[in-house]
Amino acid sequence: MPFLAYGSYRIRYELDGPTDAPAYVLVNGLTQYAELWTAYRDALVARRFRVATFDLLGQGESDKPALFISQDDQVKALHLLISELGDGPVFLSGISFGGLIALRYAIERGERLSGLVPMSCFAELPPQLFLLGNALRTGLILGGTSYLQDLLLPMNVSDAWLKPVLDKLDAVKRQGWLVNDVYALQNLMESFLDFKPLTPQLPAISVPTMILNGEFDFLTPRALHETLRVGIPNSSLVIIPRAYHAFTLEKPTLTADLLARFADDVLAGRWHGNKAVWIAPEDAGGDLIPFPAGYDHLRAIPVQGKAP
Amino acid sequence: MSKFLGPLDSDGRVPPQQQTRIAAFLISAHGALGRRFALSLPLRLESAWQTELNAQLYNESEIVSLLMRATSWAPELALGYLAASWEMAWLPAPVEGMADHALAAAVDLATLAHAVHAGVRPAALLPPEASANDPFVMALRRVEFESGRLLQAQIVFLKGESLVPFRDSVSAALERRHVQVRKLWRDMLQSVGIADRDENEAKP
Repeated sequence: MPFLAYGSYRIRYELDGPTDAPAYVLVNGLTQYAELWTAYRDALVARRFRVATFDLLGQGESDKPALFISQDDQVKALHLLISELGDGPVFLSGISFGGLIALRYAIERGERLSGLVPMSCFAELPPQLFLLGNALRTGLILGGTSYLQDLLLPMNVSDAWLKPVLDKLDAVKRQGWLVNDVYALQNLMESFLDFKPLTPQLPAISVPTMILNGEFDFLTPRALHETLRVGIPNSSLVIIPRAYHAFTLEKPTLTADLLARFADDVLAGRWHGNKAVWIAPEDAGGDLIPFPAGYDHLRAIPVQGKAP
Repeated sequence: MSKFLGPLDSDGRVPPQQQTRIAAFLISAHGALGRRFALSLPLRLESAWQTELNAQLYNESEIVSLLMRATSWAPELALGYLAASWEMAWLPAPVEGMADHALAAAVDLATLAHAVHAGVRPAALLPPEASANDPFVMALRRVEFESGRLLQAQIVFLKGESLVPFRDSVSAALERRHVQVRKLWRDMLQSVGIADRDENEAKP
């Protein structure tokens, strides 16, 4: 198990796939750990990508600073990892908290990237997300990691995913509970206490960007992804049908396929963001279809949009 | 070396030798915290924040009492030596960069309490098949859960406004305490055949 040295801290990472292939770097969400990308690693390596996964500072097997973890440190640690990948094309993707770190990296060091895929992501903390974040933090404080997982699971995955595991939820939660510590999760959450919106800096992201958003994402709804679509010049928004916030857990085959196709299109010069809005297929390999013209993609009912 | 306690007996109970060492370590650590909170607690509370000292004292006492009663103790010759070495580690330590002795002592106590409450996770040692009806198993779960709650007072204090000018000193003292407590905890676990999940110091 290799480690990168970031100051006195160590970052646990893993590289898989051919060393001369384009690389995908995958950044965990808040309560996640690198092994949750295993299906992506396998799928992307099979499509001849090199895949880098790691635990953020404060997560899993990486060191856990005792009192403070800044998001700047996470971006610098991510840069260390990307520096390990040589000079070839690098695609960066992250989910939720990891998507935010990926966004910050793209703003600061976008020249190193060939493409960016923020998933279930946000650049601002509007009142709903701010209050939800505070409530989740309070849940962690009062009830520990297990209670935080209890709050997040039904919010972030579908009934279809939950139903077959309902009688073994403890087993589902166990690895996340084992590798994540209350104080470290709390430090990660409290890295938002001095958060400043990234929206004004989004136009600085010049790389091709595919924004992925679950159709039913309750935690980070469509409007937050719309901020990214509007602000990032060469971007498209892709809506994942019937998906919630944690669609990377629920739909790994489809999502890995979308990641691979995006990178292939960028490398072949076929990608044109055009700030378009697309609907992803239900299954891997299907066609993306444009969001119906004339309708408002920010609404959950078919409301005609305003003329541009 | 396993990451979990065991092998469990047919009723899902942890071997008494493992119970004995783990309970002795936890009693030593939480007992030391209880004693230090007791010494810090005035007879009459003068400030609102001192109510937390009272809560910490009695919660630490509850943990000690619980472990004394829930553990299946086994004869253990090495325990005297081990307990002495643990007790030495819990003694007050200077916090560099802080001239105010009273504040430095409070920071030292908070860093030790943070390291014990945050860095020692006894419930994470339990395999899934551990009996939920066993008092020792329940005690470990309760110690870890209560530690997470008790930890909040240390986080609030150590991250608080009053210590902003001393942030580097506080962070350094806290990291030192974490390393110290983690090493003692890991060494103790290894002595009963368990590889701690957090083996950062042992990494290449």
